[in-house]
Amino acid sequence: MANKNKQLESLSMGGFVKSVAERLRAVGKGSDGPVPDLLSYPENRLAQQLHPHVQYLIVEDIIDHSPDMKSYILAPDLKRGGDQLAWFSAGQYLVLQIALDGKTISRPYSIASSPRDTKDGHYQITVKRVEGGIASGYILDHWTIGTPVTASAPLGDFTYERLRDAKTVIGIAGGSGITPFRAFARAIAQGDEDFKLILLYGSRTKKDAVFSDEIAALAESCDKIQIVNVLSASKAKDCEQGFITAKLIEKYAPKDEDYSVFLCGPQAMYRFVDKELATLSLRQKFVRHELFGEYFHPEQNDDYPQDGKAVYTLTVHIAGQTHTVSCAADTSMLRAMEAAGLNPPSDCRSGRCGWCHSQLLSGDVYVPESVDGRRMADKIYGYIHPCCTFPLSDCELDVPPMPKV
Amino acid sequence: MNQYDVIVVGAGNGGLVAAALTAQAGYRTLLLEKHNIPGGCATSFVRGRFEFEPSLHELCSEGSREDQDSATKLFQSLGVNVPLLYEDTLFRVIVKGEDGYDVTLKAGMEPFLDSMEEAVPGCRESVKAFFDLIDPIDDAMNTMGDGVPNPVNLLRKHSDFIRIAGHSTEEVMRALNIPQKAQDLINTYWGYLGVPTDDLNALHYLSMTTAYIKGRPSMPYHRSHELSLALVKALQDNGGTVYYNREVTRFLYDGQDAVCGVIAGGEAFWAKKVISNVIPNNVFNRSDNRHISKRSRKLANARKLGMTFVTIYLGLDCSMEELGVNDYSVFIARDRNPRKQFDTRDKFGLYIVNCLNKALPDATPKGTCTLFFTIPIMPGDLPADLSPETYKAYKNDMAEKFIRDYEETMGISVMPHIEEISVATPVTFARYLSTPRGAIYGYANERWDNIIARSVTEAMDYDTPNLYFCGGHYIRGDGYPSGYMTGEMAAKAVIRDLKEGK
Ligand SMILES: Cc1cc2nc3c(=O)[nH]c(=O)nc-3n(C[C@H](O)[C@H](O)[C@H](O)COP(=O)(O)OP(=O)(O)OC[C@H]3O[C@@H](n4cnc5c(N)ncnc54)[C@H](O)[C@@H]3O)c2cc1C
Ligand SMILES: Cc1cc2nc3c(=O)[nH]c(=O)nc-3n(C[C@H](O)[C@H](O)[C@H](O)COP(=O)(O)OP(=O)(O)OC[C@H]3O[C@@H](n4cnc5c(N)ncnc54)[C@H](O)[C@@H]3O)c2cc1C
Ligand code: FES
Repeated sequence: MANKNKQLESLSMGGFVKSVAERLRAVGKGSDGPVPDLLSYPENRLAQQLHPHVQYLIVEDIIDHSPDMKSYILAPDLKRGGDQLAWFSAGQYLVLQIALDGKTISRPYSIASSPRDTKDGHYQITVKRVEGGIASGYILDHWTIGTPVTASAPLGDFTYERLRDAKTVIGIAGGSGITPFRAFARAIAQGDEDFKLILLYGSRTKKDAVFSDEIAALAESCDKIQIVNVLSASKAKDCEQGFITAKLIEKYAPKDEDYSVFLCGPQAMYRFVDKELATLSLRQKFVRHELFGEYFHPEQNDDYPQDGKAVYTLTVHIAGQTHTVSCAADTSMLRAMEAAGLNPPSDCRSGRCGWCHSQLLSGDVYVPESVDGRRMADKIYGYIHPCCTFPLSDCELDVPPMPKV
Repeated sequence: MNQYDVIVVGAGNGGLVAAALTAQAGYRTLLLEKHNIPGGCATSFVRGRFEFEPSLHELCSEGSREDQDSATKLFQSLGVNVPLLYEDTLFRVIVKGEDGYDVTLKAGMEPFLDSMEEAVPGCRESVKAFFDLIDPIDDAMNTMGDGVPNPVNLLRKHSDFIRIAGHSTEEVMRALNIPQKAQDLINTYWGYLGVPTDDLNALHYLSMTTAYIKGRPSMPYHRSHELSLALVKALQDNGGTVYYNREVTRFLYDGQDAVCGVIAGGEAFWAKKVISNVIPNNVFNRSDNRHISKRSRKLANARKLGMTFVTIYLGLDCSMEELGVNDYSVFIARDRNPRKQFDTRDKFGLYIVNCLNKALPDATPKGTCTLFFTIPIMPGDLPADLSPETYKAYKNDMAEKFIRDYEETMGISVMPHIEEISVATPVTFARYLSTPRGAIYGYANERWDNIIARSVTEAMDYDTPNLYFCGGHYIRGDGYPSGYMTGEMAAKAVIRDLKEGK
């Protein structure tokens, strides 16, 4: 036994015994009522308001921009218990659950309205038809006023962060990529965001530049907003002609201060503008992309090991059941599972958010490096993001089900 | 069928270990987790080209003697082999102001004592005497084993233990005549336990600090997500099952008020034993009140929730060297005294900044580095009028305030390099962990609810039949090792009771 420490003798032994008595007394004083519900605490309530598990919405109004582009005004669906809309940061998106052919698929859509607009009881999303696409066409052709819509909480990191981003943002938008910028512009005009937005908006013709006039009108009364239409297939007054090049960016960028570049648009636009941006040698922190979107044609990559024509079998364990799903080599595992009606979780569909995180129990897969947003340890222990993972053999995977609420 | 021997609720550190062990013992085990990945606090998140560690500053090898490292032993027994790297320094502490100081303490007992002596000449003997107390503590603990201590035996044979266990850290330090400055230096770590050292039980603090000093602070290479995935593997290798996205919304009881199952994701799962990694409050408010004893309710309602944090995660586009940072862990305070640090926590009383690249140079891509700010706060410290609309501004204002203070203290420039920023608050922890008020340390280790008192009344406190607990809220207090060790305790108790047919 260790030597006793003489100096300790000044400390009574009673403290120990007393602490137990004290405990019993303290417990005795506790209320014997029910233990409070979590939502009785402000921190838990706020967490719930900011990140509801689900938002039950209903189409309240539809705005036709063209046969191939419409805006949907979404309000809480009181009948299904929807109430307050979750507040958000301009630039975020909602994931919509779309029921079609008895299956549920989900797609992200940027919120085109501003955070302040939720106080008027609505979100706005704007959907553009994608050739050969499943959800966009379905929405445009089937949604009417009164259609119930089930949405996620607002998600995503394509937001303005004042401690990170420069005071001036050059926004680069193409096609439906204008939607988050509409939200940014409105939020600036309404005083909820504070930065200078210079928006370079690429369209084929002025007619295609949905929201351009509306944003120009905001710019009239707010000197923090500026919009420049960049038309590739026509000429128009006060518009730039051609594509969004480094030269054009430099023309509008502040001369002797830092600026951030925010890009949102089709993948082809990212490829083109990224090359242009490279010549400007901006620091990486000043260039921010909205999510890449779904990855197609892995077989075109140099490091893809097969011809991409095979069809493999996925054995999928989900929600305690096992399913067999066929998956073409050039199709993401997420898409194959959705096609089979399994309703696996997905949010960003771009490899980034981790919401589709699943365990690969066996088989070989291909993950394009540019969209591999997994955590390091996932790669050691065999976890994948099915939204950007392609089979190279038959595979077995364990997929968490969508949480039930 | 949804019939199991053991159901574990929550895949935090405690739940993962508990489930892996009951599976290893051959019991049909189901681990139910609300989130879509395991770990609870022990996880990671990716922003741009950075993967951030959300919680772990340092893992201390549990057990005070090198040959007694029970967390490592536990991992080995489960076949879990996650390489760890070790830090040579314990921390640097900068106290600003007139009688401030700037001291770096080394890890390893001898280097530590040397660095203490250098900072406070003449303190070596008394500081050593303090840490030598771990021996009588170990002796007492060893003779107690897992059983409830016999008070008479304790009083007779283990009087030092009794004296230490019955007093606060500062009381014991004063009895040993440790110079004030040396006391203050050693007591810097209170921030990791959430209770200032004038109230924090000496035995608790001694065990933790000794483990840090002797075992040296350590961490996994791939953030704590690696630890959690390794434990899941151990569970699965032993035939256990984990289900994610399955929040337990209801605990089910039989006619004898014994737990017999749970409802998760709208489905019922049945088991002989249920281990909850979830704080008792959240078990009771998901149970029919009739089944919960009056004492359990009184205890849960009497307890104070422990400390929580605001944390700031920064990814910077310059290297640690370019930034001018040279320490893994820096504690910054305005006053030497822990109680004052606690009382002025809204005015930079005490905060901690870690630079993972110091310990792990390639933690982030070349030419970048990361900083992790930890600001202790108490439940209820958030502004009362915080709303969804003001929340982001609150986070940014907090971050700006503390980054500026850090810049000024260190004489360096951080702000222009921020490439990624993420700020977590109790609201964030409430979202991801579902703890009441976003508490992360379970219950406050205040005097009547310290780990000694908790251990002595354990049997009385946890009186729901077939229900066992583990995690940071349990009898050993918070921290990774406590999570793991209480997971082991719960598993052992379940295995024993199942074997005995109880
Ligand atoms: C963060 C974010 C925000 C977004 N915001 C908006 C918005 O505001 N408005 C908007 O309109 N859209 C937005 N999108 C895009 C939207 O989510 C959908 O991707 C879009 O509507 C197309 O969905 P779809 O189901 O119609 O097409 P999909 O079925 O997903 O098909 C997309 C395209 O891929 C092709 N394709 C499908 N399968 C394959 C295959 N196996 N091989 C090769 N090609 C294939 C299709 O032919 C089609 O051209 C956003 C996306 C992200 C990531
Ligand atoms: C910012 C921060 C810094 C920290 N630093 C350190 C450090 O440096 N060193 C150290 O040792 N410790 C540190 N800690 C403390 C340590 O992380 C915790 O004490 C420990 O991880 C707690 O483990 P636990 O077993 O209590 O589980 P928790 O991490 O609390 O996990 C509980 C799990 O239960 C799940 N769950 C909750 N409700 C339900 C439900 N109803 N149904 C199903 N599942 C549910 C949660 O999703 C979660 O996965 C830190 C913590 C934080 C937050
Ligand atoms: S859905 Fe976001 S990573 Fe797959």
